[in-house]
Order: sequence, then structure tokens, then C-alpha cells
Amino acid sequence: MLTDLITSDEPALRDRPLAQACAGLSREQLLAEAAALDSFRRTSGNLYQRVRALFFLHALHRYHLAGEPSENNGRIPFEGYRHLLARRFPEAIDSFLESQLEQGSGDAISSALAAAYHQLAFQTLADQVRKSVRTVRGNQWMFRMGHPAEHPLRIRRELLAHDGHSYPILLERTPVRMDLTHSAWSDIFFLGMDFPEGAKVINVSIDLAIHGSNKEPKPPVSAYLRVIDRPVLRLSSIDLKATAEIEALADVFDFAKDYLGLLKAAVIASGLIPPGIEGSGKPLSEILSMLVGPGRGLELVSSVNHIPKGSRLAVSTNLLAALISACMRATGQAASLTGELAENERRLVLARAILGEWIGGSGGGWQDSGGVWPGIKLIEGSFAAEGDPEQGVSRGRLMPTHHVFSENEIPSAARKALQDSLVLVHGGMAQNVGPILEMVTEKYLTRASAEWAGRGEALSLLEKILTALRSSDIRPLGKLTTENFRGPLQTIIPWATNLYTETLISRAEQEFGKDFWGFWMLGGMSGGGMGFIFDPSRKSEAQARMLAIMAETKALLRNALPFAMEPVVYDFSINPHGTFATLLSGADAALPPDYYQLHLAPLLRAEPGDLTPAQRAELTRFASLSRSNPDFSGSLSNLLETLVPSGGGSSPQSGALAELLEKWGFDHEQHESIRRDLLADRIGLARNRLPAITDITDVLPEDYTDLTRTPPSAETVALGKAALAGGSVAVVSLAAGAGSRWTQGAGVCKALNPYAKLGGKHRTFIETHLAKSSQRGAEAGATIPHVFTTSYLTDGPTREFLESHSNYGYPGSLHLSAGRAVGLRMIPTERDLRFAWEEMPQQALDEQQQKMRDSLRTALIGWARGAGEAGDYTGNLPLQCLHPIGHFYELPNLLLNGTLARLLTERPGLKTLMLHNIDTLGADVDPGLLGHHLAGGAALTFEVIPRRLEDRGGGLARVNGRPRLLEGLSMPREEDEFELSFYNSMTTWIDIDRFLALLKLDRAAILAGDTNAIAAAIRQLAARLPTYLTLKDVKKRWGNGQEDVFPVTQFEKLWGDLTLLPDIETAYVVVDRLRGQQLKDPAQLDAWFRDGSADHIAKLCGWGGRG
Amino acid sequence: MKIHKAVITAAGPDQRHLPLQTIVSTSGETKPAIQLLLDEIFAAGIRNAALIVAPGQTDAFRAAVGPHLSQIEFIEQPEPLGYGHAVLCAQDFTDEEAFLLLVGDHLYLSNGETSCVRQLLETAEREECAVSAVQATREGKLPYYGAVGGKHIPGSRDLYQIENILEKPTPTVAEQELITPGLRQGHYLCFFGMHVLTAATMRLLGEALETSGNNLPLTPSLAAAAKSGRHLAFEISGQRYNIGEPYGLLRAELAMALAGPQRDEVLTMLVELMATSR
Repeated sequence: MLTDLITSDEPALRDRPLAQACAGLSREQLLAEAAALDSFRRTSGNLYQRVRALFFLHALHRYHLAGEPSENNGRIPFEGYRHLLARRFPEAIDSFLESQLEQGSGDAISSALAAAYHQLAFQTLADQVRKSVRTVRGNQWMFRMGHPAEHPLRIRRELLAHDGHSYPILLERTPVRMDLTHSAWSDIFFLGMDFPEGAKVINVSIDLAIHGSNKEPKPPVSAYLRVIDRPVLRLSSIDLKATAEIEALADVFDFAKDYLGLLKAAVIASGLIPPGIEGSGKPLSEILSMLVGPGRGLELVSSVNHIPKGSRLAVSTNLLAALISACMRATGQAASLTGELAENERRLVLARAILGEWIGGSGGGWQDSGGVWPGIKLIEGSFAAEGDPEQGVSRGRLMPTHHVFSENEIPSAARKALQDSLVLVHGGMAQNVGPILEMVTEKYLTRASAEWAGRGEALSLLEKILTALRSSDIRPLGKLTTENFRGPLQTIIPWATNLYTETLISRAEQEFGKDFWGFWMLGGMSGGGMGFIFDPSRKSEAQARMLAIMAETKALLRNALPFAMEPVVYDFSINPHGTFATLLSGADAALPPDYYQLHLAPLLRAEPGDLTPAQRAELTRFASLSRSNPDFSGSLSNLLETLVPSGGGSSPQSGALAELLEKWGFDHEQHESIRRDLLADRIGLARNRLPAITDITDVLPEDYTDLTRTPPSAETVALGKAALAGGSVAVVSLAAGAGSRWTQGAGVCKALNPYAKLGGKHRTFIETHLAKSSQRGAEAGATIPHVFTTSYLTDGPTREFLESHSNYGYPGSLHLSAGRAVGLRMIPTERDLRFAWEEMPQQALDEQQQKMRDSLRTALIGWARGAGEAGDYTGNLPLQCLHPIGHFYELPNLLLNGTLARLLTERPGLKTLMLHNIDTLGADVDPGLLGHHLAGGAALTFEVIPRRLEDRGGGLARVNGRPRLLEGLSMPREEDEFELSFYNSMTTWIDIDRFLALLKLDRAAILAGDTNAIAAAIRQLAARLPTYLTLKDVKKRWGNGQEDVFPVTQFEKLWGDLTLLPDIETAYVVVDRLRGQQLKDPAQLDAWFRDGSADHIAKLCGWGGRG
Repeated sequence: MKIHKAVITAAGPDQRHLPLQTIVSTSGETKPAIQLLLDEIFAAGIRNAALIVAPGQTDAFRAAVGPHLSQIEFIEQPEPLGYGHAVLCAQDFTDEEAFLLLVGDHLYLSNGETSCVRQLLETAEREECAVSAVQATREGKLPYYGAVGGKHIPGSRDLYQIENILEKPTPTVAEQELITPGLRQGHYLCFFGMHVLTAATMRLLGEALETSGNNLPLTPSLAAAAKSGRHLAFEISGQRYNIGEPYGLLRAELAMALAGPQRDEVLTMLVELMATSR
């Protein structure tokens, strides 16, 4: 029984891989095991046993039951889906299981069960971490305090010693941390709490300076705290140039209202405004009065000295820790007001930082507050013991233990040698590590065999790294960190590396040969913060070269990978103190120069008579500091510049936008008409929907051919093969998009993204599609013309990329079909935002994350109102302001831009096009499907796949009795989609002549190239199709690697809507999921490799000479 | 061990005049607060008391102590150098004997027949060691009191072996260092303002004086004494009234009145007040 793997005390059985235990089990046996596991997880009192059972159940349904032949695919009950969205996971599971009992097991229901078990498992783990954080001694009281009169903290007297001008300033300076190894992400809370003996990290506190800035490394994180003579909380983030005076208690708990969420989390987690008082309705001034005295308030200022986001040095966690530490010292929660913290105080700061991250809806690993401790330390998990809140719940404690290595253990020579060899960089990529942490947890809990072996290997590497460090021998250390990266880390998570990192390593190897000692991945994944270890004699040269290599490589890959900033090289030194505080008073009581830039400009614009004495004192202080303090040199002139902004008129960006609009065929008239309709509520998200009386039902067997159950006959395959050999088919890959989900709206070309390693190398989407066409062509003894459609965003980069890669050695003709129409994004209307967020079903988030999202959405509605609803969206890079106007236009563009004419000239016998999305990696010119299309004689043959839970956004339906593809946007009722058995893969076989006939055109007209006539025909056809209004997320980058995501309005016409036209004959064919599924999100990659999808694609590909 | 001596501190900069405030006792008599306190200690068996006062305050206190004058020694604390220093001023008076220590700005009301001072003296004499009176207090009040952590003495309902003493701790520190099994969540054993101390504490105070600068608190010496000898916390059955806190005097007077024969009259007055106030 699989439950034995969970309950056994025998390591051999307990650590047996699930996949191995399931091998050879029949479908019936698997279902029986699933029933037993479900019953076990309902009754087990042990948290981790329950969670393991849930992950087992997820794996059974996702990898063992789904995809296996079953009686029917089945339907997912809408009721269960609603429970899932509302995070009522147990109810969702019950609903799905009931449905499984009624209709039998099948692919659809297994996909739903897999999702529900997966989410319940993570919810259970997150709840436990949250509970443990709340029960850490020292944190508990904060959740009980509910009235200002009960506030038990008081500001220390030292901070109230007003010198006649101002109060003293408490300055907390904290290093950041880098980890030599995290033993395969063993610092994830869930891992440490179940496998404390395997949770080990070597963590180093470091000071930083940007290389070339001629500054000495110093603790990069600073927090300033002082008393002010106003009953408010004044929060300022120097790096984000954000400041706010908070007067209402509710605003302290409103994290996404501004950029001050981290400071607010610190104020709450440090107990200044304890979490228990949220919602009490009491005035903030009353709380501050208890804390600081009547009429007084507190000011908190943060600075990270311009270190960019995504540095993998845990900057934000250490900043949170610095802020919390300052607040705790100021209120007597740490005995030491200044200097280093005692060990018990550091531990409490760690506990509070974990709490703060939870409150702020984020979360890192337990080693991230490492900067609070000094020097080099071993951080380890520890077993729960008598008296611990975790006792009886989990094997390990939430909080790890820290052993700071003494000079005897790791001599100063070793520390110096490390400093002299390591080139520390930020590669410029900023990526979300969240999905990786989830994958690691799941693999650990199901004991995936390679993962489990890798974990063991990582632990033994830690010991070797420590030995190398103790003996001051950095060369083997470099070898070991490289081994760690190449071995266990990538065994567990292949996505820890990427083409950018691989290129950097290989160039470092080429240029420095034996003097390049190794690569070191910092944090959760590579591409951002990284280390390159060199012979000390060449470190200085290596710093300069790595900066140049990174810049060159980034330039090559800038359109393929999401870069957030220019690469940087750091100077660093090991910090011997950990977090450290000083009390600045008198003339020394100065905030950082940028603080004054932020605060004094408004004061200088005010009437002198309106200034308060405190504001006057601040101005006087700044004037005096500008004269006497070298750190303030130049700040006076900077301040004056902010008062008198230089330049005027239109920005260069607005000029570039106008040029782009002109170049890519922007239709001003249509744009204004859409704006009028939008403002008059004639179009909008709600108006995308068909009338409520529309009859929507599932298709009947006569509406489609199911090739998964009845494969094409030998004659049909032969027909397809003959067509291939005769050169009558070409492929059109849609590569005009940015793949919003792939990079969360980063605006890179998805087609060029090196998404994963196949056949031993990172492959781009474009390369994969060419490799399939190449292989099919070779099999048929012919070449297949291949077209990639492009847009304003992808055309230039794709041309450049293909040229630099010599078309990947593709033997056939290759064409780029440039887009011929573009839209300008608009600021959404409040009506549409509210419809999307309040009327449409939404996946509810975890409690704190949901609060963050609600707060953010309120802020975004405010932004839309303020910026002007339905106004042009121009406040971003020009390319981020444009949008493609829907994939309906992709094929017509071929006609307009002459690509089809070129194809027909090159291949007069060309009869069929296979059109597919860039992320449908399984789509290829399969002779059976081609033969089926040709034999059927339809103008358009659409490929559909059996629906799973994740296949949302429409499908094949009978609409008012007629089969057609129905877009999710136009469904009048959410539940209708759950009645549909098939999902549209978008892959379409097109009979060129019959498609032209629909446009009332023919080959001669195309070859004649009368673009006016062609354009008129396309306009006429387009007018018969619905226009959808959609909201898309677009990233706006600013500052040092900061990113904001804005919802914008755009419109589109969709290819599948051709099926609603009565005068074109369409057919539908059900294909295998491996062929029809789309790769939309990097979080899918792991399952994609695990369930055989990747192998399937690799088999279809002929990598040619370049593979 | 018999306790015959008491030390009452009234020299703090904020409390010099508080013990001189008049108040109506439970029996309906109007007296200075200090006299009420002295009534209680002498009724409990104390023979002599030292009153630590600020320079120049002796006469005012002499006039306020009423019939107890002959049993009292007045000691002026030359400078306000902390609570511990004030206690140390009575070193010659206590002369190696155990003594009762009280603060002059608190009044006590027992829940039963035995007065608070009597309860404490009986406990100390029975256990033959230093005992501090404590009361379970919710964490919101921690900024006002010293607090202790410890374990129940087996077989006793209200006695604890003190393991740690902290002065006005934050709950953050208290949760970690003042763990006392059996108390309600968020409650700590806080000082009641009443201790029986031994000569050992006086010696420790004397040692601490050398490095104390201009502030010698009592708590660290109590904590040190608790570590080196037997020191118990006794959860007293009674209430304390700090007449120094806002409305403290009013609360104390109301408590006295409601515990005495004028209870109905005072309740009626309160109802009338509520009915006619804005």
C-alpha cells in the first residue's frame, strides 16, 4: 500500500520513490490506492503525513491516472470548480470524487482532482508555517492586543531626547547574505520542518559596493527611525522614491496602496502597530500616543543603496529585518539600543521577519535574514522538542539554528581568499522563484528518485565546501560550487539554469581557461545574482571582462529572455558584525541625502509662512549638511534640479511611439470609434458575451472525428504522405506575440525564448518548430516551407535572431510575415476593471495575498480614474503601448504583405497550410492528420483536444444547434464551458483556395498583388466577426529592476470565430493531448518533462547540423 | 523567621506628596494614605518601620503618620538615585534582619479577612525565605511593573519558585523569559509592590551601588538574590491601588468605600453622577 510509504519508520520504505511504487499498478489498482490515500489524509492527525498523502494523490491523478486510456474523458462539475476558486479545497475534492463515482474515472476529472489535492497540500503547509510563526515565543502577544490602552510598548527615553532642533536618529545598518550552498533549496520552511537533518546552508554576510564606483563596500541595507512631532507614521523608501504620512490605522494594513508595503510590514511585525489591532477602528494617533507620547509620531526611512531587485542576496528580507530590528530596539524589545544584537535578539528578529513576510504576502527561505548574523555561518534545521509549538506536529522546528564560524574554524586567510577570488555579479534578469520553490517541495515530498539522490549529493557537497573553506583553498571550492550547480541543483530543477547563464559560464571558461575556477549560483535560480570564481591574480581583469561579457550576452538575448536591468559587478567584503545600530544625535542626526531630495522639494515650493518650526529646522539642517558633510556634496544642486525640471515639450518616447504607429498600420479612425463605443458602454468586457438566451451544448459525435480512438487509416496516411512529398503543404507558426503569461508581460519575443533543454541544448520555440518541419520534410523526401508571422514587437528581433543563427540550418524556405495592423492600448474603464475583478469568477488567494491583491486593485482602479478612462496608454516604453489586434489577422496578413504570393510563386502546387500557435509544441505536419484534412475536403479543419481543468477559454460547442468554436470571452455563463468536452488547440489545416474563396479572391488576385482589393476583402470579412475587448497585463519597469504590472484595454478579433460563418465548411478533429497542448507558463515545465510531453516533442524534432 | 521591621519608600520624585493625600478608609475615617498603610502593617504584627523620604520632607510625613509616630524612623534619601538606592538607605535600620518592603504610593485591599500584609508576612515566616507578593496581570500592564517567571511550588496553590525577574519587560521579552505554567495566556506574575526581603538583598544592593552610577534599581539585585537563594513569589488574595497613576486616587477611594459600610451611599452617588453627567 502507498500509505506504508508515508507511515513507515523504515527509511528504505519511507524514502521509496512514489513513481517506483506505482510502476506496474493497473488503473484499478491505482484508483484503489487513491481511495485509500484519500481516506488516510482525512483521518491522519499528523500534519506531514497528511501533506504527503495529498502530494501522492496529486501525483497519482496528474501523472499516473491522467493520460491513461479510460472509458471516457468525463466532465468536471462546475460546482467543484467554484469551490476550487474560492479555496474551499476539501469541498472541491468531495465534489470531484462524487463526480468520479458517477461517471467513472477519466482524464478531465483526474486533472481537477490533481489540482485540488495540490492546492490543498500547499494550503495545509502554508497554514502550518503561519501557525508556527504566530506561536513563536515573543510573537504571540501581538495577535492578542486589540485596544490602544493595552499597548505594552513604550519608546525608549534616549529617542525622546530632543536637542532643541530635532530628535536623535536610530540608524540600523545590515549586510545582505549570499549562500555558498543551500543544499538544494533545503531552506524552504516546509523542508526544514519535515527534514531538519537535511536542512543546511552555508551563509555569508557581506557588504557591497558597485564595482567602479570607487567606494568601499559597506552594509547595503539601512533603516532609520526617529520620533517626530506629529501624531502620524511617516514612512519613506529612498530607493523607491516613495513617502507617505499615515494618519489612519487602516492604511497601515493597506500594503499595495503605495510602494511602502515592506515598511508597513515591519511596523506591524515589530509590534509597533501589532497585527491584533487591525480592524479595531481606533485612531492611529491614540496608539502612537501610548507608544511615543501625546502629539508625537514616528518616522521610518529605508534605503538599500540602489541594489537592484532580483540580486538573489535577500535584500528585501534583510531590509525587513533591519527595519524590524530598529523598531524593536527603539521599543525596548531588544536590550541593546546600539551595537550588535545578542543571539536571542537576532532569533527574534528572524521570527519577526518571517512574520513580516507572511503579513506582506511574500516569503523567502529561512536563511534569508542571514545578514542579521555576522560573518560566515552554518544555518541548520533542528528537531522539534518538548515545549516547542511544533512538537507533535512536525519533525522540525520552524526556526533554524545559526552557528557563526569563529576565526579558529574558518581562518581570516580563508575569508580573504574568498574575497580575492569571487567576482560577484547581477546578471540583469529578474525572475519569479516562486514556482521553483513549489516544484522542489513537491518533488521532496513524493521522493522523486533523482531528486532524492540529488538531495543527498548536495548535502555531501556542503561538507566538502566547508572543508575547502576551512583550509582556505578556494580553487576546489570553485570546483565544488560548479559541481553543485551542474549536479544536484539541475537534477532537481533543470530551470535553475538558462541559456544566458550557460553562455556566461562558457565564455568565462573560454577566456580564462584554468584560471576560471568555478561558477556559483546564488539563491533560488541563476540569471540574477551569481558568482564567478577566478584565480586571485586575475580577479581585477575578470571583473572588467565579466561586465563586458554580460553586456554582450544580454544584448544578444535581450529579446528572448526577460531582463530587468543592465548587468552589474559588485565589490564585496565579509561583514563581521551582522546588523549594527548607532544613535545619531546633534549635528550627526542626518538622514541620507536622497531623503532630503524627497522631502524638501515640496517645502521649498511652499509659502515660507506656512512652514512649521520642525520643517524650518529640517531645511536649516539640510543647508548645513550640504556645506559640511561630504556625503551631501552635490545634493543642493540636485534638489534645485528637481524644483526646475529641465527640458520641455514632447518626450523622445512620444515621438518614437508616433513613428511606430505609423509604421505598423495604426488606424486612427477605428481607434477613436472604439474609444467612443467604450465610453458609451457599447463595447466592454460584459458586452463580449453572447445573449443569455443562447443555447450552448456539447457537440455530438457526428460533429467531429476522434482520431485518438480511431487512428487514420493507411490510405489516409498515404494521402498525407503523398501531399508532403509533393510539396503541397506549408506551415504557418504564429510568432507575433509576447507570450504574456510566459514572462508576466515583460514584452520579450516568446518565439525566441530558450524555454528548455531538449537534446542536450537550450531550444527556442522557433528552433523547435523548424526542427519538426525539418524532420517531417526529411521523412517525406521534400522540404516544407515554413512561415513565422511577426508583429511590431517581434519582427526585427526575429529577423535578427534567425539571421544570427543561420535559420538554424533549416533546409526549406523560411519566410517572415510581418504584421500589417496594430492597436494602441488604452487605459481601462473602471466598469471593465470591476467586471473583470468582481463579476468574473476569480481564483481566491491565500488570506494575506488576497488582501494584497484587493488593495492593489483598489489602487489600480484609482490609477485608471486618475489617468483617464479609455485614454491612450502612453506612459510606458513605446513597444509596451502597442498591441496586436488578434490572431484572426495573421493569415490575412500573409495575403497583404505578399508572403502568400511568394509561397505560391515558389510552390505553385501549394494547397494546404497548417497554422498553429507558437506554444503548441506538439503540432507538426503529421501525414495522418494532413491526409484526414485532405480526404474530408473541408476549407478549415480545426484540431481540438479533450478538455482538462487547466484548459480554460472556450472550446468546441453547439451554439443554437450548430457546431462551432466558442471563445471563453463570449460565453454568457461560466458554467457552459464545463459542459464542453473539447478545447480548441488553435491548430488549423487550411485549404488555401477555399479560404481565398471566402474572401472572394483567388490565386491570380494574390499573385497580382492588388493590395487595395485584398485589403478591402479582408475588411469585409473582418466586419462579419465579433470584436472582443480584453484586459491584458503589461509590465512597466523603473528604478533598479523594479516592475509594476498595469491592466490595459485592447481589442482583438479571433481566428476561431471564422467557424461561425455559414459560408465556410469547417471540420473538427480530436487529437492527442501531447500534440494539442500549449506551453503557456514556465511553471508548467516541470510537469511537461515529467508526463512525457518533452520526450514526445524531442522525438518529433530533427535538430539537424546545429543540434 | 519572624519579621518585625518594615521599610516604606516615599522619596521618588513623582511620589513625594502622594502618600500625604487624604483618603476615606473602609471604616469611613478620613486619613492620609500613608497612615492607612501604616495601620495595616502594624496591625499585621510589624513593630518598627523606616520611612524613606526626600530631603526636607520629614516634617510633612511626621505630621501625617498620626498615632504611629513612635514606631517610625524617618530616613532622608539625599539624592534620587533609584529605587534600589532608596531601599539601601535603610540598611542600618534593617540591620541583617529580614524586613517587609512597601511603596508609599500604593494601597491594598484584601479579598478576605486577612489583610494583604498579614498574608505576606505569614507566608514568609512559614517558608523562612524572601517572598515577593505578585498578582497575575495582563500583558498590557507590563510597562508599569516588575514581573517574575517561575514554577508552582508542588502542593501549593499560590506559591511559585522564582526563576527570573525583569523590570517593566516588553511582552516580547516576557513571553520568552518569564514563562509561568498555569497562568492564563497573556498574563504574567507582576509585583504587587510588597516584598519580604532578607539581608542578602541588602548586601547585593550594596555591591551593586559601586557600579550603579546615578541609578540603582532594585530589580537586578532581587533577580541576583533569587538566583543565589530561595526566593518565592506569593500570589496574594487582594487588590493593589497605585494612587500615582491617572485616576489612581479616585479608584482607591472608591474601592475603599465600596468595601465599607458606606457602600450603598457611594453606589447611589455614582448612579446619580452617571445620570446627570453630560
